[in-house]
Amino acid sequence: MTVLSVFQWLGHTAVGRAMQHSTYGVAIVEMVHLLALALLGGTILLVDLRLFGVGLKRQPASGLAQELAPLFWGSFAVIVLSGLIILSAEPMKCYYNTAFRAKMAILFVALLFHFTLHRDAVAATKQRNSTVWAKSAAAVSLTLWLAVGLAGRAIGFL
Amino acid sequence: MNLLHLCQWLYGTSLGTAIRESPSAYPIIESIHVLGITLLVGTVSIVDLRLLGLVLKREEVSEVVSQVLPLTWCGFVIMFVSGFLLFWSKAEQCYGNPAFRLKLLLLLLAGLNPLIFHSTVYRRVATWGESAATPNRAKLAGVISLALWSAIIVSGRAIAYFK
Repeated sequence: MTVLSVFQWLGHTAVGRAMQHSTYGVAIVEMVHLLALALLGGTILLVDLRLFGVGLKRQPASGLAQELAPLFWGSFAVIVLSGLIILSAEPMKCYYNTAFRAKMAILFVALLFHFTLHRDAVAATKQRNSTVWAKSAAAVSLTLWLAVGLAGRAIGFL
Repeated sequence: MNLLHLCQWLYGTSLGTAIRESPSAYPIIESIHVLGITLLVGTVSIVDLRLLGLVLKREEVSEVVSQVLPLTWCGFVIMFVSGFLLFWSKAEQCYGNPAFRLKLLLLLLAGLNPLIFHSTVYRRVATWGESAATPNRAKLAGVISLALWSAIIVSGRAIAYFK
């Protein structure tokens, strides 16, 4: 099973067919995707800025990340689901789109980083705040997520 | 000189033309505008959700507001400057665009909401103490703000669908 065949299958699912035949389908799901971006991006931004020592300074980044976790997971679920639905509307266009491929590659790295080194750096703030380690993790995280967003916007321009 | 003339004049200025005719300027400014949503609406939403008692329950409302507000202003400046440049380059089309008109109206309302909130119910924020619960009027302000900002994002996206 190749990636191409998975994309073709997505385009033939009931959701994919419905999206392809709908006038407003993609437009509406795209709006939901953007709304989720506001929340997911906002959550990531607040935790990373906290790692830098900016923003919600009174609590360690670990506590902040913990309290914002439901928001992170909620908006993450919405953005992935809406993204999959948009993908099912135009799988072949995305498959051959350089920006889409770049977005998926960077997204993979961003997620990998988020759940390994970034998670460790956030947990370490329980003991010590604003170490070089924490700031580097924040810088890498912000760069990766920003690149995911830029590549995502670029899909429509290519 | 009416608004349409002003838009036409903006459209014809050298900066407006330069943004419109450059192959990369518009997409770059638009990308900044879209990602700026996270800083502006992301931080606003977190304050709103705190007002509703849904996130950051262990933090006092005043703490969250005072610490997040500088970031929100930062986001506002980025959104205003990038948004104005986008408008500048397509002012003539924006003028008659129903989604654009709706967005400006919603932005006005979204600006009024915190003005009213901060000058009334928020003045007594010190008495709310550390409890997760907030007065009903504070919750109302949170719901209105979430609804308005969501509608602004939706209408902003819709501008591109009206030609």
